[in-house]
Amino acid sequence: MIRRGRLARLRRSDDGYREWHGAYRSYDLVKEACVALGVILALCVVLSILFSSPDAKPSTIKQWARADPVDFVTTATTELDGSSGTGGYGPPYNHASDGQHMWFIHLQKWFGVSHPVNSAQDFVLAPLRAISGEPALQSAVTSYESAAAKQQAAWTTAYEKGLAKASVGTGETISVPGSGYGPLPTMMGALLSFAQAGGLDGALLTSRQFYQTDYTKPLLFMADGSVLSDRAQAEHLLGTQWGMMNETGSYPGQVWLWLYTFWYQIKPFSTSANADILVMAVMGALSLALLLIPFIPVVRDMPRWIPVHRLIWREHYRLTERR
Amino acid sequence: MAAVFDLNHHASYVHWHFFQMSVSNLLVIVAMIVVFAVAILAPFPGGKRKS
Amino acid sequence: MSAYDERSWTGRVRRRAVAALPPEKLLPDEQPAYVASWIYVFGVLSLASLAVLIGSGTILALKGPGWWHFTGAGHFFNSIHLWAVELFFFCMVVHLWGKYWMAAWRGGRARVWMTGAVVFLVAIPCALTGYVSQQNFDAQWISTQAKDAMNSAGIGAFFNLLNFGQMYSYHVFLLPLAVVALVVAHVLLVRRHGVVPPFRVSEDDS
Repeated sequence: MIRRGRLARLRRSDDGYREWHGAYRSYDLVKEACVALGVILALCVVLSILFSSPDAKPSTIKQWARADPVDFVTTATTELDGSSGTGGYGPPYNHASDGQHMWFIHLQKWFGVSHPVNSAQDFVLAPLRAISGEPALQSAVTSYESAAAKQQAAWTTAYEKGLAKASVGTGETISVPGSGYGPLPTMMGALLSFAQAGGLDGALLTSRQFYQTDYTKPLLFMADGSVLSDRAQAEHLLGTQWGMMNETGSYPGQVWLWLYTFWYQIKPFSTSANADILVMAVMGALSLALLLIPFIPVVRDMPRWIPVHRLIWREHYRLTERR
Repeated sequence: MAAVFDLNHHASYVHWHFFQMSVSNLLVIVAMIVVFAVAILAPFPGGKRKS
Repeated sequence: MSAYDERSWTGRVRRRAVAALPPEKLLPDEQPAYVASWIYVFGVLSLASLAVLIGSGTILALKGPGWWHFTGAGHFFNSIHLWAVELFFFCMVVHLWGKYWMAAWRGGRARVWMTGAVVFLVAIPCALTGYVSQQNFDAQWISTQAKDAMNSAGIGAFFNLLNFGQMYSYHVFLLPLAVVALVVAHVLLVRRHGVVPPFRVSEDDS
């Protein structure tokens, strides 16, 4: 009874704010809009003249293969045995894992593999098969493809161990100590040369048709290595550096993402394998809450309790109290 | 067209416990708070009143 | 009213539109006397920032996505576009703070608040698609990082941040259309309901 009475009073009180029956003042809406446009345009022009905008050149696979051939070959080997980030990612690229989940909600798995990427085929074997006039290379690829899965794994595991002690030789080639790598040195040597000549950038892009706008494969391949993350770390763009908010150089970044990136810095998100879906869920809930503030008790009442409005409408209150 | 001030050098960062922010971003946030405060405190010119 | 209006869909739409928003409400030359604070200009400043964003974006679109990397004029318009984004979010957030402390949803204005909140929430992916359309290192890093959030929620299955063509289409057309449609709805609702009156000095529910 008391609650119904209070709700009715609240509704009547709120109804009282529908229309304003008091004094009006003259107001030129079109002039105000024009002045605002002029001010913002002037600010944008001044800021552009003073500070311009960042444009850090993109990395290419060619640059990566030349600057850090050991990292390139190591990444390519992990693509071959599926132990790379992309190889074990799960949907939407492959079925290697179920991806992230929250309780029983497996959205990543439920939406399926919509952009299939076979890391071994797409990043290593198909580009090598496309290289013509190299019978020794083609023979090495055939020998790898026809070996049993256990043999392939033995070669790639041993090669990855050897790569940890690899050195860079003349002409940006690499030298991997040890043996028992099967056809891998031949295959990876050819892939490295192909990449250093710029061929792999093109091969990964034009794999489906002539006209391309989809950079999924070259970007996934580069992201599996350290070419992008090394640059990102230097520019303070890593997740652990609150990088989501930052921009290259000293430019202001995306300040509005402060709350989104905050969650990644604290437990349980910072140590969870499902951090992304958990943070998305939290931010989804908070976004809904922002939308529904008019209906959320306490949050909708705070403007009444903390009277910032007395400053905004001080002239109105002064005149009302005088009357 | 080269900028008057080149912002392509590394940013400075402020650190506090696990919190870190670039000085540029911090300036933007401080500017927002200052602008908000000035907007609600600064006197507003009166217009012609009609009752 | 003409002889045809009773049955005409056009007549009915026109009557409803004019009833909801008569010309003097759509383009008023007066406003309540309590609208006397600089906080009130941040709505129109946000609109102006959006206009500069669309204008500079149109020029960038006219010349194609690669133009700004190779010419001074292109880079200048890209700079205008970037600073307009910063000012858009700056003004929008100050406007949001002001409207929150005024509890501007009162008096049947909940939809005004809600459309405004949705504008903010849709502007964020609109900005994201812009960042990944830049075709530079920023685009490479942001797309390869943000894809994990999209994929974790299943959104990555139909919204591929690594697909430049798709992201450019969303950024240049689909999401700005959504933002503009929401802003128009928001502004028309403000015109219809008017600016929220101040809290009464004594509240009968406190």
